[in-house]
Amino acid sequence: MPQAYYNREAGIERLATETGAGQWGSALAFATSHFEMDCTVYMVRASYEQKPYRKMMMQVWGADCHSSPSTLTASGRAMLEKDPDTTGSLGIAISEAVEDAATHANTNYALGSVLNHVCLHQSVIGLEAREQLASVDDYPDVVIACVGGGSNFAGTAFPFAGDKLTGKHPDVDIIGVEPAACPTLTKGLYAYDYGDEAGLTPMLMMYTLGHDFVPPAIHAGGLRYHGDSPIVSKLVKDGVARAVSLYQNEVFEAAQTFARTEGIIPAPEAAHAIRTAIDVALECRKTGEAKTILFNNSGHGHFDLASYEAYYAGNLPDYDYPEELIRDALSRLPKVA
Amino acid sequence: MPAFRTIGLVVNPFAGLGGRVGLKGTDGLADRALALGAEPLAPARAAMALAPLAGHGLRFVTASGKMGEEALARAGIPDSACVYGPGVPSTAADTRAACRAFLDDGVDLVLFCGGDGTARDVADVVGTDVPVLGIPAGVKMYSSVFALDPGTVARVVLADGPARLADAEVIDVDEEAYRANDFRTVLHAIVRTPSAPGLVQASKRVFEEADEDRARAAIGAFIADAMRPGVLYLLGPGTTTGAVAERLGVNATLLGFDAVLDGRLVGADLAETDLLALLGDGREARLVLSVIGAQGFVLGRGTQVVTPAVIRRIGPEHLIVLGTPGKLARTPRLHVDTGDPALDRAFGPYLRVVTGYGTAQRKRVGADTPA
Repeated sequence: MPQAYYNREAGIERLATETGAGQWGSALAFATSHFEMDCTVYMVRASYEQKPYRKMMMQVWGADCHSSPSTLTASGRAMLEKDPDTTGSLGIAISEAVEDAATHANTNYALGSVLNHVCLHQSVIGLEAREQLASVDDYPDVVIACVGGGSNFAGTAFPFAGDKLTGKHPDVDIIGVEPAACPTLTKGLYAYDYGDEAGLTPMLMMYTLGHDFVPPAIHAGGLRYHGDSPIVSKLVKDGVARAVSLYQNEVFEAAQTFARTEGIIPAPEAAHAIRTAIDVALECRKTGEAKTILFNNSGHGHFDLASYEAYYAGNLPDYDYPEELIRDALSRLPKVA
Repeated sequence: MPAFRTIGLVVNPFAGLGGRVGLKGTDGLADRALALGAEPLAPARAAMALAPLAGHGLRFVTASGKMGEEALARAGIPDSACVYGPGVPSTAADTRAACRAFLDDGVDLVLFCGGDGTARDVADVVGTDVPVLGIPAGVKMYSSVFALDPGTVARVVLADGPARLADAEVIDVDEEAYRANDFRTVLHAIVRTPSAPGLVQASKRVFEEADEDRARAAIGAFIADAMRPGVLYLLGPGTTTGAVAERLGVNATLLGFDAVLDGRLVGADLAETDLLALLGDGREARLVLSVIGAQGFVLGRGTQVVTPAVIRRIGPEHLIVLGTPGKLARTPRLHVDTGDPALDRAFGPYLRVVTGYGTAQRKRVGADTPA
C-alpha cells in the first residue's frame, strides 16, 4: 500500500515488480488496483507452476503476471538461453522487473523485500505484536520469523531488535529461519553483491550465496533468495539476531502438527518459523524454563496444497547446500580487484 | 508416438527358482531347485508385465518356447517373431545368443525377465547399444535395470515421445560366497535403461534436472571445479563419478577406482594395496562415490577395494557422494556396508549427495526407521 501510494503521489502510473511465492505480487496487485495504477508482476517460474491460483488472484486485481524468466525482457531471454529449463529465482525476477521499469515510460520498480523502506513498512507487524503483548503485560523472550529477502523477518523482529540495541530488553533472542537449500545467513558470505541475477541493481553489503546462485526449487518459494536485507545481515553479523536453517521435510512435519493442533494450514515459508518455535518450546520443556515465544505465522498454505501432497507422497527432497565444495570451487575463480 | 516399436524379449525360465527353496540364487543350481520342489515363476511374471502391452501395435521378437514365445502367447500377444531357438534346458549361453539375435534384428529395446544373473548375461551382449529393461523375477535384484513392478513395465514402454534414458548398474553377486553368508558384489556393467516419466510424480512441477546426462555433466563440472591442488581424489565406479573424469579430460575406468591428483590421473583401476600406497601417511584425500544400484548403496556394492583401512586413512568425513536428482528420486534410502559396523555408523544418519552444480540433497542412511 505505501509503495503504491507514494508512487501514485509522484505521478507514476505503472509499477513493475517480482514475486516469489506470490504473496507480495498479490499485495501489490491489490494496492495498485486501489490507486488505479497498472501493475506487471514477474513471478518466479517454480512458484508460477506450483501455485497457479496465485496468478489468478493477481488477475482479479487487474495485474499482469508473467512466469519469470520471460521472453519480455533481455535479462529473461538471456537466462532462458543459458538454461531453458531453469526454475527461475527471485534474483532473476528482480532483474526482469528492474529492466521493465527502466524501459517503459512512467513506470517505477517496486521491490517486495530486502530494501530499507520495505522493511520499514513491514515493521507494523512487530510494532503491533509488541503492543498486543504489552496489553497482557508480556514481552517475548524469543522472536522467530522466516527469512527470504528479509522483509518478513524485519517486520517482525526490528522493533524487538531496537529494544535489544537500546538496552530495554537486552536478552530477547531473535531468530531468523531459512531453508537449508538456500542458507544465506547461516552459510553465505558477508560481502558486497548485486540484489539481482543480472547485476542491474546497486551493490548491497549483505550475506549472499552469490547473485548467480539459483536455489533448488523448494516449496517455500518466498525464501529462495540468494541475498538478504542489508540491515538483517548486519544484525546477524553483530549478533543481535541469529539464524538457523531447516530441511523441507522437518518443516512440513511441523506444518502438519500446527495444522492439526490449531486448525490453520500454514504456508511452507511460515512453517519454517513454526518448526523453530516448536523446537524452542520443546527445549524449554527439557530445561523446565517458561518462555514467551513470539513467531510470525506469515501466510496460509491454501495455495501450497500441492506441496503438502508431495510431502505425504514422500516426494520432497531435503535439498542441501554443499558449502565446503562451493567454497573450494569459488577459491579457484580468478580474483577480481 | 512411443519410442520403442520393436522389442526383443528374453525370459530366463529358471530365474527365481532358488528363492523359495532358500538357495540364494539359482546360478548352476536349477536342477537342485526343481528337485526341491521349486515352481518356475518367471514365465508368469513375464506374462503379467506383457499383458498391458497387447494391442498397441508393438512388434516383438523373442526366443522360442519358455524363453519368451510362451509368455507372449499367455499375455495375448500371439504374433511374435522367434529369432532364436534355445536348447532344452536353456542356459545362460542361450540368453546371450538370443540377445545377439535381437541386436541383429535391430530392436529398440531389450526386455528381459529374470534377476541379476540374467541382467549380467543381457548386459554382456547388449552393453549400451540398445536400452535394457528388466521384469523383476530373480532371487537377487540389486541391479538398477529392473522396473519397480510388472505394471511399471508397460508405463515405461508405452510412454509417448523420445525415450528418456538413464544409466543403470548391473550388479553381480557372487552366489557361491553368498551361500556361505559372505556378501560380495561386483559392479559388473552399466547399461542404458528407460525411465518412466511419471517417476517423479507429485513433485513433477518442482523442476529438477530431468535429463540424466545433463545432470551428470553439471555434477562433473562442479566437482572438477572444487578439486583442490595437492589433494588426492579417488574416483569410484559409475558414470556419475565418470563425469568428473570426463570433465578433467582423464581416462577413467568405468567399474574400478581411479586416482586423480592436480587434475592428472595418477592411478587407474586400483586395488586396496595401491590405494594404501597412494595415500601414504596422511596425504589429504577425498573419496568420490556414486549412489550404486537400485537399493542405494554408496559403499559395499562394487566398492570392495575401498576397505575399512582405506576409508579410515582418508577419513569418513572426506566422502563426497554424487547422484543425479532422477537417481535420488528412485532411491528412498542410502546404505553403507563397509563390513565394519562401527565405521558404517561413523558416516552418521544422513549423507549429503551432490546433485548438480552447487546443489545437493540430504538423504537418510540405513533402514527405514523414523528420523
